Amino acid sequence: MKRAYGLATTIVFLIASGAVALGQAPKKPAASGEDVAGTVAILDHVWLDAAHNHDGETAAWLFADNFVEIHPGGILVSKEQQVEMIKNTQLGDIAIQSSDIQVRYASPDVAVLTDTTTIRGTQGETNYGGQYRVMRVFVKQQGRWRAAGAGIARITSQ
Amino acid sequence: MRQIHVGALALILSFTPLAFAQTKSAATPRGGVDWKELDHKWLDSERTGDLDYLEKFFADSYVLVLANGQTYTKKEWLGILRGPDRPTLLTLDPENIQVHVFGNVAILTDHTTIKGHDSKGNSLDGEFNVFRVVIKQDGEWRATGVVMNPDLSKK
Repeated sequence: MKRAYGLATTIVFLIASGAVALGQAPKKPAASGEDVAGTVAILDHVWLDAAHNHDGETAAWLFADNFVEIHPGGILVSKEQQVEMIKNTQLGDIAIQSSDIQVRYASPDVAVLTDTTTIRGTQGETNYGGQYRVMRVFVKQQGRWRAAGAGIARITSQ
Repeated sequence: MRQIHVGALALILSFTPLAFAQTKSAATPRGGVDWKELDHKWLDSERTGDLDYLEKFFADSYVLVLANGQTYTKKEWLGILRGPDRPTLLTLDPENIQVHVFGNVAILTDHTTIKGHDSKGNSLDGEFNVFRVVIKQDGEWRATGVVMNPDLSKK
């Protein structure tokens, strides 16, 4: 079941990478005519699905080599560190869901979006439960969109 | 209800990114860009209230995410900076600056120590790890995003 879900995720990812995304975000066509906003909006979900499913392979494929992320609490992680965390099933399962995806900037080779990510669960001794405002950066390299980085802030004010 | 003292905190972080670069990656120009100089100008503009420069330096897509998750657009944020509750910044000390360049976008991370206060005298002191995104538009590098995080390892 889990494998099937992972496969489905990969398929979605491949479709998204082919820039035929279904357009779940505000339309901001790049100069090339590609629906960049739609593509990265789907990649946003793929990213979180990979994390949820401990799918390090998809995460490694998605992340650019120079990927960088700042976790809540200010922890800075590289691509290798982030992939290892995703792969580590001993850390436990967490439910992750994104909403309110807003593509803030889109060009033929760069996209920046923000979303609200809701997490339920604990990994290791850390309870990640809560809502987070996330900024994700995507770049197009060798014709394929990759995740370049993310900054995450826990939402404590409404 | 957005509180101005929180905005002031973000102000400090969002405008103090790369000054005093202390890492090789920030001190060494990449792709022909002197990131240290760029960030010094950014910081100096914040200190002097050079909003004309910031208006140009911030891309229209600029968005600021504070450490509490509050979000401001360029228009909203510059509105705060132009307002009467502008914070007083005594110390802005970014360290461990790292630059990740991906063609027309660069991600900058740093650790920033802040000392200052808002217009009501509330302390803004703190240490943060900050995620910054700069994009290249029409040949110019512009800020398009900032996400702040309290450095919990310092508490």
